[in-house]
Amino acid sequence: MPQCNGNKKMVQYCLFYIALSFFSHLTFANMANTQKSTERWQQIEHHARLQTVYFHAWGGDPQINSYIQWVAKQVNEKYQINLVHVKLADTSEAVSRVLAEKAADNNTQGSVDLIWINGANFATMSEHSLLLSQWANYLPNFKYTDPNNNPAVTYDFGIATNGMESPWGQSSLTFYYDSATIKTPPETLNALLKWSENNPGRFSYPKPSDYLGMSFLKYALTVLHQHSSDEIKNQLNQVVNAKTKDKILAPLWQFLDTLHPTLWRKGSHFMQSSAQMRRLIDDTELSLAFTFSSAEIPAAVARYDLIPSIRSYAMADGSLSNTHFVAIPYNASHAPGAQVVANFLLSPAAQAYKQRPEVWGDKTVLIQHTLAPKQQALFTHHNTHPSALPIDAIKRTLNEPHPSWVKAIQMGWQARYGVSQ
Amino acid sequence: MQSSLQIKNLQLFRQKEELLSLNEHVNGGDILTIMGPSGSGKSSLLNWLIGTLPTGFSARGEVFLNNNNISELPAHLRHIGVLYQDPLLFSHLSVAGNIAFAMPKGNKKLRLEKIDNALAQIGLAGMANRHPDNLSGGQQARVALLRMLLSEPKAILLDEPFSKLDAQLREDTRELVFSQIRTYKLPAIMVTHDNSDAHAANGKLVTLKTAV
Amino acid sequence: MTVASKIEPLVYKSIPPSRYSWFARIVKLSPQLLLTLLIIPVLAGLVFVLLPAFGWAPALDQTQLSFDGFIAISNTPGITHMIALSMFSGLVSTFIAFLITIMILAVFFTSSWLHTIERLLSPILVIPHAAAAIAVGFLIAPSGMISRLISPWLSQWEMAPNGIFPYDPYGISIIIGLTLKELPFLLLMALGVLAQPELGKKLRSQHKVALNLGYCPLTAFFKVVLPSLYPLMRLPILAVLAYASASVEMPLILGPNTPATLAVTIMQWFNDVDLNLRIQASAGAILQLIITCILLLIWLGGEKLCHVFFRDSLTNGVRDHGGAFWQKITVVITTFVISFILLSLVGLILWSFAGFWRFPNALPEQFVLLHYTQALMQMGDALFNTVFIGISATFLAIAITLLCLEAEQLDNKPLSRITSLIIYLPLLVPSIAFLFGLVWLQQLIAHQAAFFSVVFSHLLFVLPYVFLSLASSYRRLDPRFSQVAASLGAPPSKVFFQIKLPQLFAPILIAAALGLAISFGQYLPTLLASGGRVSTITTEAVALANGASRRTSAVYAIIQMVLPFIGFIIAWVLPKYFFKSARA
Repeated sequence: MPQCNGNKKMVQYCLFYIALSFFSHLTFANMANTQKSTERWQQIEHHARLQTVYFHAWGGDPQINSYIQWVAKQVNEKYQINLVHVKLADTSEAVSRVLAEKAADNNTQGSVDLIWINGANFATMSEHSLLLSQWANYLPNFKYTDPNNNPAVTYDFGIATNGMESPWGQSSLTFYYDSATIKTPPETLNALLKWSENNPGRFSYPKPSDYLGMSFLKYALTVLHQHSSDEIKNQLNQVVNAKTKDKILAPLWQFLDTLHPTLWRKGSHFMQSSAQMRRLIDDTELSLAFTFSSAEIPAAVARYDLIPSIRSYAMADGSLSNTHFVAIPYNASHAPGAQVVANFLLSPAAQAYKQRPEVWGDKTVLIQHTLAPKQQALFTHHNTHPSALPIDAIKRTLNEPHPSWVKAIQMGWQARYGVSQ
Repeated sequence: MQSSLQIKNLQLFRQKEELLSLNEHVNGGDILTIMGPSGSGKSSLLNWLIGTLPTGFSARGEVFLNNNNISELPAHLRHIGVLYQDPLLFSHLSVAGNIAFAMPKGNKKLRLEKIDNALAQIGLAGMANRHPDNLSGGQQARVALLRMLLSEPKAILLDEPFSKLDAQLREDTRELVFSQIRTYKLPAIMVTHDNSDAHAANGKLVTLKTAV
Repeated sequence: MTVASKIEPLVYKSIPPSRYSWFARIVKLSPQLLLTLLIIPVLAGLVFVLLPAFGWAPALDQTQLSFDGFIAISNTPGITHMIALSMFSGLVSTFIAFLITIMILAVFFTSSWLHTIERLLSPILVIPHAAAAIAVGFLIAPSGMISRLISPWLSQWEMAPNGIFPYDPYGISIIIGLTLKELPFLLLMALGVLAQPELGKKLRSQHKVALNLGYCPLTAFFKVVLPSLYPLMRLPILAVLAYASASVEMPLILGPNTPATLAVTIMQWFNDVDLNLRIQASAGAILQLIITCILLLIWLGGEKLCHVFFRDSLTNGVRDHGGAFWQKITVVITTFVISFILLSLVGLILWSFAGFWRFPNALPEQFVLLHYTQALMQMGDALFNTVFIGISATFLAIAITLLCLEAEQLDNKPLSRITSLIIYLPLLVPSIAFLFGLVWLQQLIAHQAAFFSVVFSHLLFVLPYVFLSLASSYRRLDPRFSQVAASLGAPPSKVFFQIKLPQLFAPILIAAALGLAISFGQYLPTLLASGGRVSTITTEAVALANGASRRTSAVYAIIQMVLPFIGFIIAWVLPKYFFKSARA
């Protein structure tokens, strides 16, 4: 039953804070705020002690797995928290888990404490009220993300996070190629089409139920509308409108109709996952591929999983970018522990360590000017790998369309290309 | 031409140790009896004759059936019929099926007639469609004999074929088998433990010694 | 003998009557326990899939019965294609595996090669499906081992060519994978039947009789051995068919995805972020169940047809059905299958040590231990869980199986047909059809006891195999030993523990090794029952196979193979050691 009390208390705090935030410009309120929140956080840390936190996170990358192990060691030393990484093949497994628990009326003893999430999975969980809210924005380290001026940490694919998610890292769509076979890689979507026509069978994208495959389609859709009117561009940031949907998607299908016959397996079979794409590059079946975590490329070369002639680059017409988060299910057994872990993940030390290319290379969500000089110094790195994405390679970023587009694109794709003849 | 089975200069080895050596000639209708303690190589001799000598054994020498050298022929081309201790009837076939299995291919109706006649001759009339497991031990032995005979073998081996039958049945069955051998004038070799078998065979007796 | 007779009365006196009846009571109850353990989870799982299939899912705020799920399925693009692919790949792979099994048995029935082939093929049994699929994929891919061996000197390929395999639209790659995986299983099951002392001896003697009657060895096998052997292979064959029609790993890794097989699609619906798809997924699970049933019926129908068609030819006296020709074909096929498997294994091993390995090089540029050191560092917990769960589930399975078989002998009547069928229920009902329902159920009962849930789920799949492998040995125990012991005054419990179990030492060890192998290979049950909180080598391997490098996957696949291997080696060596000391 302590869990229920905790939840009630949380709600009281939330109301309190919402009330307070109206007066946040007043000095005394700020002082009270700080004092109250310090007290509150100490209490959370106190509850978190000796808790075992089950962190459900995709387990497909040894580098990321090692980083989470490092985190587990740190939180164990600092807070006596036993962090267990539950390695998922797909994040939706954890979503189903929480749903099954809700179905079984298990509202306090959930098996998932912390979950690595963003985009469509987050949209689903928040839609079904499966997440704890109004906690992330009260984490002590959240202030380093400059939340008032940084929508990237308060909006997930256009949906307000309402304190349900704490930001963890940032990624952008990065392309890579085998420089032994390609001298100049295509730098725009149009050039990519031309290049694929000239090099049939050497490019493809994962089947769009896959996150990365969908990202490629979103990138294409966004770029294809770069010269459209603002009215149309705005629609990409809103819930899909049944009336204009077909009109907006039409250029994408037109583009794919031309692209598909030039693809690997002539577009009659698509890769199952982004990892398979990486394997096919290594097998020299593909010559050009892309990823959402640019750091995996040099890391893969270091582990012999990719040949050393691989080079990374960003598209000149823009790179699709998004933030990934950690969230706590509404029925988590160890919510205080999970919050302490989330707060640690946001700490400058953890963020800086994560950004090191040899560790994970995941871009930090912290904003430099919020940090003390000593903390800023943690983020300076040296000697980059020849296969890594050069610093400042990303010339312009493209925002993720509203998550409802994912379903629209997927349905349309499935109907058009889902069954090959 | 009289049929015959001839064993020429046979030497049987287990690994490299010699088990037995033999030189015999059996005429059609005669029964050569071989006796000897366990391990003296009786069953190896039979296995060699039918072409299924297990690994670990080797042999030198030749076997002639009706003056044809069959030493190198595979088992199924030798035309030597064998009666074992157990009747070994096929349980997935009826009595008639067991016998038909053994007969050369041919007209279905003629074959069935032949089976019925043969069954009647050995006192099993009307049993054609019975399942072999439902027969008595003596009946099973007779079906096994019939099955072997109707496969039209050119020689017969008897591997202690009566040892599992009780005294009276043993005598009757033995009588039946021996009379058939004499009727068809087939050369036969019998391996047995039992002196009365040897006596009834009324032919040459070879006693094997335990290998040293 | 003197020692035994001295001890005998002492031990007898030390067993009070209460313990005697205690044993009998447990034994008598065990068949019911077995049935409860098997029926309830499967049925409850099915019910909890049926309800959402017809629209009842309170968690999704759906409490109105409807056919929406089924309507959605019928509107899914390519649904007939999916069903056809599932049926075709399941049926054809089972049929080919069965055919090759029979051909190998027929041709090598009397040859010492049979055991060599058995020894070469049995390792495949313990390779998890996912690992096998990856290994096969690497062999037949355009950049695969075969392609590398002929490039560039023969093929002129400097880069991997455009290919068809794997992922071919007709599911041929799936069929290759499934066939290679099921073939050793069927062969070992058949050899297990032939290893039964009485039956095996009878069939071998009958085969010899047929040879004496002039039948060529191949025909002799088909006309004499197969009719007696097949009924004992029927259940394993049906289990293989049921599995093949609904398997997920093979089609996921080797199959096409425009569209995929039905089972893979259902799996993806279940895992889709759109939770409302779960209604459709549950309906799909029911559809899968129906399809599997249809396939089983097709097989049984085919059996009947064969029976009618070939009944007369059994006794028509024809003795030489293409002897030499089929013999040669079988030798070629067997050689091909074995070299295919060996080449896959070589590929797997090469990958696990590979540094850079660019196409078309047949060998990696350098060999490194990095993949092993990295994997082993992260493997500790998973390794412990794998072994612990495997041993727990296997121990329970063996205990229940032995008690049930003992009950059968105490009551002096065999288990009813229905009971025997129910034992195979978890193998015949596609796991995708009831596992998701089972998880909902486990949530209701014990949502914190993840470990227990996993052991229990594994038990469901381990039990049938253990029963399958132990039952025949137990039933063929010479009853006279027990009778002799009983006449010496030994109570049933003593006969059981001191007479029967020691005689069954070797079969029990083999069953244990098989049980462990089955437990080690479980992916879906482990993942679902534990909510992912209990990681085993297999869950890690599949997660990595979906994500990381072929090199790391190869390491995990090899460790997955090594673990059950150790079990089998122990099972083979221990009895030999004991028998040797007994002989000396």
